[in-house]
Amino acid sequence: MSPGSWLLGGALGHLAGMLASRRASRLWLPATLAGTVAALVAALLILGGDSPWDWRSGFSVAGDPLHLRLDGLSAFFLVLVTIVVGGGAVYSRAYWTDAAHPRSAAAGRAWWNALALSLGFVLVAANGLHFLLGWELFTLAAYFLITLDRQRGEVRAAGWLYLGASHVGTLALFAFFAGLAAQTGGWELGPMRERTELAPLFWLALFGFGLKSGMFPLHIWLPSAHANAPSHVSAILSGVTIKLGIYGLARFTGWLPVPAAAGWTIAILGVASAVLGVAFALGQHDLKRLLAYHSVENIGIILIGLGFAVVAAGQGTDAAGWGQLALAGGLLHVWNHGLFKALLFLGAGSVLHATGTREMSRLGGLWRAMPWTASLFGLGAIAISGLPPLNGFVSEWLVYLGLFDATRSAGPVAWAVVPAAILLGMTGALALACFVKVCGVVFLGAPRSAAAAHAHECGPAMRGPMLLLAGGCVAIGLAPVWVWPAVAQAVGTWAPAWAGLAAPPSLAVLGWTHLALAALAVTGVVALRRRTGRQPVPRHVTWDCGYAAPAARMQYTAGSFAAIITEWFDWILRPVRHAQAPDTPFPAQASCTSHTPETVLEHVVTPVGGAVMRLSAAARRLQHGRLEAYLLYLLVGIAALAVIVATDVGQ
Amino acid sequence: MNAYLNLLIGLAIGLNLLALGSSRLPSLINAVAVQGMALGAMPFLLEEHINWMVALVACATVAVKGFVIPILLRRAMRTANIEREVVPSIGYVPSLLLGAGGTIAAVAFARTLPLLPEHAGSLLVPGSLASVLTGFVLLIGRSKAISQVCGYLILENGIYLFGLLLIHATPLLVEAGILLDLTVGVFVIGIIVDRIQRAFDSLDTRKLTVLRE
Repeated sequence: MSPGSWLLGGALGHLAGMLASRRASRLWLPATLAGTVAALVAALLILGGDSPWDWRSGFSVAGDPLHLRLDGLSAFFLVLVTIVVGGGAVYSRAYWTDAAHPRSAAAGRAWWNALALSLGFVLVAANGLHFLLGWELFTLAAYFLITLDRQRGEVRAAGWLYLGASHVGTLALFAFFAGLAAQTGGWELGPMRERTELAPLFWLALFGFGLKSGMFPLHIWLPSAHANAPSHVSAILSGVTIKLGIYGLARFTGWLPVPAAAGWTIAILGVASAVLGVAFALGQHDLKRLLAYHSVENIGIILIGLGFAVVAAGQGTDAAGWGQLALAGGLLHVWNHGLFKALLFLGAGSVLHATGTREMSRLGGLWRAMPWTASLFGLGAIAISGLPPLNGFVSEWLVYLGLFDATRSAGPVAWAVVPAAILLGMTGALALACFVKVCGVVFLGAPRSAAAAHAHECGPAMRGPMLLLAGGCVAIGLAPVWVWPAVAQAVGTWAPAWAGLAAPPSLAVLGWTHLALAALAVTGVVALRRRTGRQPVPRHVTWDCGYAAPAARMQYTAGSFAAIITEWFDWILRPVRHAQAPDTPFPAQASCTSHTPETVLEHVVTPVGGAVMRLSAAARRLQHGRLEAYLLYLLVGIAALAVIVATDVGQ
Repeated sequence: MNAYLNLLIGLAIGLNLLALGSSRLPSLINAVAVQGMALGAMPFLLEEHINWMVALVACATVAVKGFVIPILLRRAMRTANIEREVVPSIGYVPSLLLGAGGTIAAVAFARTLPLLPEHAGSLLVPGSLASVLTGFVLLIGRSKAISQVCGYLILENGIYLFGLLLIHATPLLVEAGILLDLTVGVFVIGIIVDRIQRAFDSLDTRKLTVLRE
């Protein structure tokens, strides 16, 4: 069977799922999974070396014949879409049940299929008009998924912000595709690198796709949307939909010529996103909001890889070596981030499911009640912090390799990659600090609230997808050579000159090292277990400085744990702190709260928006309904025209 | 020939100023009526050989602008029971000054326009521009609906004057259509004035802004 028929099967499966979502909800999961697997097969066929699938319809949709194309790059992203869509579908059956959410569960299933279909359609559309249609459809489907729980005001606010921001981005994309169509004479998309007059359109694409990918400073919609959506939706939003922004950037930097500054801009935005994303994450007290900011960070890492690849592509064959590595690292990080971020959001979802709160200062000690969730979340945390032996390290290491190789090239690149690599390293360290904070506050210590004390482990339907995603993280970490052909295929599609890229020899070494590390860790854990099993371990309170009544409130909070690091970033985080210091030797009352706002939203977008609104309100005063004054406007207009005619300004 | 025409146009410009300066509605309506008749007579002066179509249009213009419309307006005035414009937004002296300044500006502006040689000596274009301006000043400066209709009529007279430049090119149907529009417009306004008066106890159009949106 050709990839096309598998794709058709995938679409039919999701359509059937959509039909079954309300009346026959038992059939929904099988239909959705069947469709997802079919689409996965299609993508794997292409990544396995099949020639790109290209199909044109005889009929026309919205005025143009349908043109679908599945090549290495789109297949690479399609694999991630199918994995997270499938995992999230299984998870949602236990997480967002009809019993718990009678009003929204069926709608959630239907929109899930709609989102999957539109994501797939965007990936295969090779016509600007249809791309935009799919893009808009996927924005709307994601909006309805975010606002599934729309009884809550903050969910509605988050959805509204998402919808508004997305449409600002879509507007830029409209301009982009319309400009492209105006200059090429048709909506047809495809490689056209030789038409250098198309290069300025890149800036529109950067804005439109960058806003969707959540790069700094266009990420304003991302934290609230990802935090307030149901967790399986957060997983697909963070794991997949923001990657479609990356897909758009990669697709059109590959197909179209770019201005000389394009690569540098992407790389600088990537570095800014990476460092500031993790800084903002450190300041958060809300578990899911914190994870959302880590998406900004990881998008930054991907953009660093992509940006330097674009720089390398502009420098000719000398730079091909390090450019390939940077691109491969960036693209592999798309997969990796999709896997571990979905895993982390699903883990956060089971914490939320068990305790009913996302506030980290109300959690604690969940390790004992939820060993599966805690260990899977911990695994995701290791992966996202870029630690060996998991997948996060592999992709970041490829980016590092590219950057290090670039130091040997000529020109400004050699100097620019050094700070980029240093900042990338700093990002990894900060991410590690952040996840030590999360795991420590949420899973270790003593429960800080009754809800946390009565937490329960999630069921197998929620555990299964998490295990699948964790398995993906481990597999890529231990056997990076296996996924290399897929990455090489995508790299070759992006730049045909770079096709047939062989794996760097150290990749295999890295894989073996990871395997050895993992084996060592497993042996260590097993040995420790055995020893502790032989001699039962008594439980005591920790050393308490002689204070006789330690309480859960005395533990480090999320805010205090990260306080030192967040103070370094005070200049951009602008945290709001309210402290009432104890004033007597026997203090009666003292308190300290801190809150990190979304700085770009509250200090840039909101004031600018307010100014625009005030200006509009002022302009609206011209529109008062008095006919005489309207006639005066008319007269003034005519007089101005007369002056223009009389003074020949117009000529 | 041109001298008579210019005389008539001069009369129309004088009537413009009269309309701007009069506070009583009957004299405003009279000024508009006389101006309409003067304009209606112009085609007879412009043409060497009068054909029956032009004559028909001219006669119809005189009849409608000189008699039908003024009668409609006077009737509306009587039913609404008002005689004068009490508080104009632009006072009478400023209106006159604006009108006079507008007329001078119109003459000056007309000189810069690239006109045909046969129109160069006539006052047609400046007269037309001056009337349009006067109409605008009345529309902007007066608040009673009837004064505004008069302003609208003077504005239309200005456009008509400009249209005389193209008298050979404009088909009969267009002329007739414009006349009919005007008549129906004034007729409708006559009825509306009555309704406004009954509904709001006033004819001040500024108070109509509560109806916006």
